[in-house]
Amino acid sequence: MAKIDLEDIAHSYDPLAREPVYALRKAQLSWRNGGRYAILGPSGCGKTTMLNIMSGIVGPSEGRILFDDVDVTKTKTAERNIAQVFQFPVIYNTMTVGENLAFPLICRNVAKDVIARKVGEVAEALGLEKLLGRRAKSLTADQKQLISLGRGLVRDDVAAILMDEPLTVIDPDLKFRLRRKLKEINEYYNSTLIYVTHDQNEAMTFAEDIVVMDQGSVVQIGNPQELFERPSTTFVGYFIGAPAMNMFEVRVTGKNKVSFGEVEFATDTDLGTIKTANVKLGIRSEFIELSAAKVKNGLQVDIERVDDFGNYQLVSAHNGGQAIKVKVKRETPVPGDKAWLKFPEKRCCVYADEVLV
Amino acid sequence: MDLVAKGLTLEIEGENHLDDISFGMRKGELYTLLGRTLAGKTTLLKTIAGLITPDSGRLLFEDCDLGGVPVWERNIAMVYQQFINYPHLNVFENVAFPLRQRKVDPAAINRRVMTALSSVGLDGFEGRKIQALSGGQQQRVALARSLAKEAGILLLDEPLVNLDYKLREQLREEFRNIFSSTVASDSILIYSSTDPLEAMQLGGEVIVLDEARVLQQGPGHEIFENPANTRVAEISNDPAMNLMNGTIGDGSIQLGADMALPLPPHFKGLTPGDYIFGLRASDVILADKGISFTVELSEISGSETYLHVAGGAHKFVGLLDMVRNFKAAETVSLSLDVKKIYAFDMAGDLVSSPFGGGR
Amino acid sequence: MHKIYLSLKYGFICVWSMFVVAPFLWALSTSFKDFQSVTSGATYIPWLQFEPTLEGWRVLWESPANGGVDIAEPYLNSIIVTCLASIISIILGTLSAYALSRFTFKAGFIRNNDITFFFISQRIMPPVVLSIPFFIMLGFLGLLDSMVGLIMVYIVLLMPIAVWIMVDFFNKVPREIDETALIDGCNPYQAFFKVVLPNSIPGMIVAGMFCLIFGWTDFFFAFILTFTEVQLLPVRIVALNSSITPWWSLSAAALISVAPLIVVAFIVERFLSKGNLSGALK
Repeated sequence: MAKIDLEDIAHSYDPLAREPVYALRKAQLSWRNGGRYAILGPSGCGKTTMLNIMSGIVGPSEGRILFDDVDVTKTKTAERNIAQVFQFPVIYNTMTVGENLAFPLICRNVAKDVIARKVGEVAEALGLEKLLGRRAKSLTADQKQLISLGRGLVRDDVAAILMDEPLTVIDPDLKFRLRRKLKEINEYYNSTLIYVTHDQNEAMTFAEDIVVMDQGSVVQIGNPQELFERPSTTFVGYFIGAPAMNMFEVRVTGKNKVSFGEVEFATDTDLGTIKTANVKLGIRSEFIELSAAKVKNGLQVDIERVDDFGNYQLVSAHNGGQAIKVKVKRETPVPGDKAWLKFPEKRCCVYADEVLV
Repeated sequence: MDLVAKGLTLEIEGENHLDDISFGMRKGELYTLLGRTLAGKTTLLKTIAGLITPDSGRLLFEDCDLGGVPVWERNIAMVYQQFINYPHLNVFENVAFPLRQRKVDPAAINRRVMTALSSVGLDGFEGRKIQALSGGQQQRVALARSLAKEAGILLLDEPLVNLDYKLREQLREEFRNIFSSTVASDSILIYSSTDPLEAMQLGGEVIVLDEARVLQQGPGHEIFENPANTRVAEISNDPAMNLMNGTIGDGSIQLGADMALPLPPHFKGLTPGDYIFGLRASDVILADKGISFTVELSEISGSETYLHVAGGAHKFVGLLDMVRNFKAAETVSLSLDVKKIYAFDMAGDLVSSPFGGGR
Repeated sequence: MHKIYLSLKYGFICVWSMFVVAPFLWALSTSFKDFQSVTSGATYIPWLQFEPTLEGWRVLWESPANGGVDIAEPYLNSIIVTCLASIISIILGTLSAYALSRFTFKAGFIRNNDITFFFISQRIMPPVVLSIPFFIMLGFLGLLDSMVGLIMVYIVLLMPIAVWIMVDFFNKVPREIDETALIDGCNPYQAFFKVVLPNSIPGMIVAGMFCLIFGWTDFFFAFILTFTEVQLLPVRIVALNSSITPWWSLSAAALISVAPLIVVAFIVERFLSKGNLSGALK
């Protein structure tokens, strides 16, 4: 269990080049002890680099890493006391499942009865208890990944468990159970869990705090609710939530009003500080109110299609060239061709130069 | 019916990879094969393509038995999960390959390739090398190649599963537009997926596969409203439908010692006895005077909360339309919307559904 | 820090280069010496330390009647035998490797991996073991001391190398590419030639290089299977030996025989570095 601090960390894979390309731009991050984090971002944003820097596989070209205020930047991976789970199963083919799970403990000379107990606990948690005697080579891909995961969990004294998209190969119903198991472990042992993913749904359901990254920079850190309701940049608004946040290019026309075409929307933000002309209004499809009848200060739209997703309907509409998506309940009747949309003040987010005001 | 399968069966080393699969498909329609991993979707697609020969059963396309027809003479196109393109050819030649193979004349090749590239959003990419493209772009090239062929059957094996979440969302939209425009009248599109939401979004008929068998075939909303059995109910919902054992007796549903629900109107006429009841996660509502459950886990996603609870012998997942962090071991009061409850008999088959299906 | 690293790097490369090039330079200077210069002590730089002569080189072209060793004919023989044997080995080896990679063979408990290993095991075996069987077989066929016989033997020796390298290579090309080619209208042969083969050219070049090297430098089988009619280069060079070891002509012969391989290496390296070998897939 340790508090991890990244001080002025930056990393370039070719630092001696004349113009180094940074995989990870200068960042300052603190991971509190026992926290449950997700690092979320698209491919190539630097999340795996950050994970590898924390585990020691990659040495940062700039900056320091501290575990409980002790500088570990130069310490080797084995000494940092980290467990890392990778995207693809990493197992020892010649050993049985039980031996695989026990391996990290055997390497640390833990007593045999303790090993047996821990292996049993972890195997039961992951549903592997019937397979302990089988050779690891003969299992399916998701069973192998469970072993990989189990090996990362069997040591309960680690500073942190770092996972790089570990549930990609797992079936959806097993994913639920595994997420729950990871949370239980996090609460029981108070070990820090850091989970890297590009799947915003996984990040939102798993983490207490999410670090959103794009192109090497940390864009926003916050809990799932904050990131969903108040994304700090248009990128976060796009990346979090399915579908992405609706974005409108608007003009500022008052202390807290913006206009889209002829329609004026009231927001709850003070827009006096905005100097740029690049102003956008963002609102989530879940929060837009749809009505068949004309509404004051509502945006008139033409309905393109309505998709039935079982639990809800997704209305795709447009106003001129602007596409808008609205989520409505299954029972709500959606008019065939035209509708009026109302944007609740509290739910409007205004962005100046892509950053939240 | 233009593509008909009758009793396709394949057994390898004692395991059924295809178990008496039969279906009918029409030209100009999109079909989604929905099933978990290893359900037999890829095997079925490869059998239609001719790469795998079934032990028994027949496959007829336009009344012509495909039994003896080798792969290269079938009128098909396929897009794989793993971005398969010819590495030694550039984008244009990749898309043109099947047309050159069929000796289409150069002017027509040029036209069809450029149209296909345009419809997948790759205008201007003709000269590029495959290795220089990103994952999403490579998959688009693979799709363009399939479209340019104008094949009778277009097979897509989970084409988006190896792409980033957001890219997947974007391409799914684009696919829908492409499918409804270019290939509308003449081809059969078969798309395999594990995600029920994706199946719903694509909008075509859904064929539910599980353990090498066809469980149900029908329009998406029909599968949603009237799942033929408990397994279909599990596969076609995300999160899976809650299933509980219980009995119907003296005018109420008994789910356990202290859990009783009033009998909904659509259960009228059901003989009392043991049943399996099904309820979707979204039909579980937070209520003041409901049944008491203990929270096991709560997960927030966007504007909804997944709540995992336990009560008596039952475990549920509820999808609540609000954002709230419940603590483990907290007690919550939930009401189960009986108007939406399903009844399956003990063999798992649908007996009564809120939308009128069942016996 | 960076400078120290750089200077160490280049320093090491210099030392290593000298280590590698030195024998060639020695052979080069020795080839221009005559008997006196060789025996009178260690001398290296021509004109400064000794008088260069072309004696060593002249001997190689003179016919035996004039006291020389005519290497023109053996040289040509070596080139023909090595090239033909290599080309046929690569063709047969590549086709076998493709079959081993794509099709499943089962005969009792023997599987694909066993067959591949069988090929590779040919190279593990000491060549001596094969000498008598080959001698007898070629004698039976009347192919002793002939080009055809020699080429046949070399194919047997070189094909395993081609199989070894190409099986690994084909295993790395996903099966789905073959399938896509089939779906696009190619029959299995066309799929192989139009799609799989163009992507395997790097592997074939590497295999070809190894075949050429092993074929060209083989002394043992050329020695026992040929006598007077057909002579290969290594055998003829050995014939230079007499009671006084002729270092000058041996050096010249050594340089001449290595020359083609160096040319091949340069050509392949050019090809490699141009990035033409990026048949890789994402």
